This record gives sequence, C-alpha cells and structure tokens, in this order.
Amino acid sequence: MLNFFSLIILQEVESSRFAAMKQAAANPDLSKFLVIGALLFIIGVAGVLTRRNIIVIFMSIELILNAANLNFIAFSRYLSGIGSPNALAGQIFTVFVIVVAAAEAAIGLGIVIALYRNKETIWVDEIDLLKW
Amino acid sequence: MTLSGYEALFFWIFGLAAIFAGLLTVMARNAVHSALFLISSLVSVAALFILSRAEFIAGVQILVYVGGVMVLFLFVIMLVNVGAEERGSEEIFNNQRQVTASLIFCLLLVGGILYSINTGYRGLQSLRPTTPEVLIVQEAVRDQAHSPSATGSSRITKDAENVGGSLYRYASLPFEIASVLLLVAIIGSVMLARTLKQEASVDDLPPDAN
Repeated sequence: MLNFFSLIILQEVESSRFAAMKQAAANPDLSKFLVIGALLFIIGVAGVLTRRNIIVIFMSIELILNAANLNFIAFSRYLSGIGSPNALAGQIFTVFVIVVAAAEAAIGLGIVIALYRNKETIWVDEIDLLKW
Repeated sequence: MTLSGYEALFFWIFGLAAIFAGLLTVMARNAVHSALFLISSLVSVAALFILSRAEFIAGVQILVYVGGVMVLFLFVIMLVNVGAEERGSEEIFNNQRQVTASLIFCLLLVGGILYSINTGYRGLQSLRPTTPEVLIVQEAVRDQAHSPSATGSSRITKDAENVGGSLYRYASLPFEIASVLLLVAIIGSVMLARTLKQEASVDDLPPDAN
C-alpha cells in the first residue's frame, strides 16, 4: 500500500521529506500514539459541546477518558523502552481511571433516569428550570 | 517504543478505526448506534493497548468498560430513549451558533495540542538520540527474553504479574480508596434510581403521599 502511494506522487519520490514521512509511517513511534489520543480527546470534547441528547454527551465523556488512558499506556510503553523504573505507573493509573469512569457512569446514568422520571425529557436544552 | 512490520500495520488499522468510530459516535442520529460505535472505539483502543504491551489493561478495558459500562449505557438508552430521533422529529445538534462556536474552539484545540505534541516530542528525541533501528532491535531482544508458551508458538508476558505486584505493593492505598469509591457509587446509584413509592415506604408514609 505504501508502494502504491509512492508511485502516484511522482515528484516527491526522491525527496528526503517523503522518505522521512514513509519512515515515520512504517515505524510508528510515541508521537503517533499521542496524536491518536489527542484526536479522540478532541472528538469527545466536540461531542460534549454539540449534542442535545444527554446520553450521547455521557458517551463523549467516556471517549475523553479513553483518550487519556491511551496517553498513559503510550507513555508507560515509552518509559519501559527507555528503562525507567517508573514504567508501570502509567498502567496503574489507567486502572484507576477505568474505576473512576465506571463509578461516574453509574451515578450519571442514575441521575439521567431520575431526571427522566421527573421531566420526561432527555434533551439538555429542555432542562432549564434554573434559567432566568 | 518503535513498532515495525505487522505491529505497525495493526497500529494504523486500529488507530484509524478508533478515530473513525469515535467520530461516528458523536455524529450518529440514533443513540443505540452511538453506543455501538463507542464499543468499537473502545475495542480498537484495547487492541492499541495490546500493541503497547499492556495486555492486562486491555483485558480490564474489555471486561469492565465494554462489558460493564457500555451495557449499562445500553440499558439506560432502552429505558429512556424511545426513538424520537430516528423518526426525524428532533434535532440532534444544538442550535447553529453554539455548534459553530464549539467547532471553532475544537479546531483551536486541535492546533494547540498537535503543535505541543510536535514540539515536546522533538525535545524528547533530542534528549535521547537513538535511531529507530536500534530501538526495534532492543524491543525484539526484550520480547524474546520472555518464557515461551506450552506450544512454543508465542511468549507469555509478565505484564499482569508486574501490574498486580505494583498495585498491591506500591499502590495499595489508592486501591483501597478506589474500593470505597465504588461502594459510594453503588449506594448513590441505588438511592438515585428509587421511585417515589419506594422513598415514601421508607418513611412509613402512605404510598401516594407525594
């Protein structure tokens, strides 16, 4: 697949910048993990800010927590590659992030059910009892 | 930490699948579709964890996150969401000015985060100048040092052993606090989901007291 792309970009085949990009794609490093984590985080933030359904907002929050977990695990792998004694700290922290995410999801969905029982709605812009 | 060969191929497959599934989670019209896309994203991220030699965390993610939290989400969606969106009668996004402001903010956040990752990573690379080939060879040597499995076709890693040892020795206090947190979450969610009749019966009031 990489060979196919290098054939269709004719003028960049011999330049060193394309060779560096091909090397970076063939050997993904810590920075690629961080970029994937950052993109998942931003997609989660966009979901929290733009959706009207409260359950989809909760699911975007789970995406944000997942992106942070990916970041922790990537750094844990990087540190164990370097030989640092704190390499397992990333994985331990990930366990606690998953625990907190599960507890938060349980309480949050309990709140959603109590809200639905009282106001019969799941759209966040209809929950405006405290608005002026 | 450099991946190569099949690991690099699987990294790109699961990385792009996680981002694509996350995007569709946010953009799906039906909440059940959103939940299923989030499950795909979580499983792709668990695969990325396995590529990062964190097999225990990948298992915990699939058991707890996908098997517990997402099943809970699906139950609540079935209780609460009666399909108004798929009939096309409700808007799924906020009004236009809010969505535009949010997207501008997210674009600025993308630029800022990618710039900081780039700069920080270049600084990190300058501290330890090793070429990727050296790192790949070091990784291969470390992987071959594990004991082989019974059939001899793969290796048994010590990740669960190391994580368990650290968790019970150095992180035992946060571990106990996490168990208290879960207890509080259980009590809180039971209390939040009670009906008015159940709350009235605790105070020995007649059931239609509210």
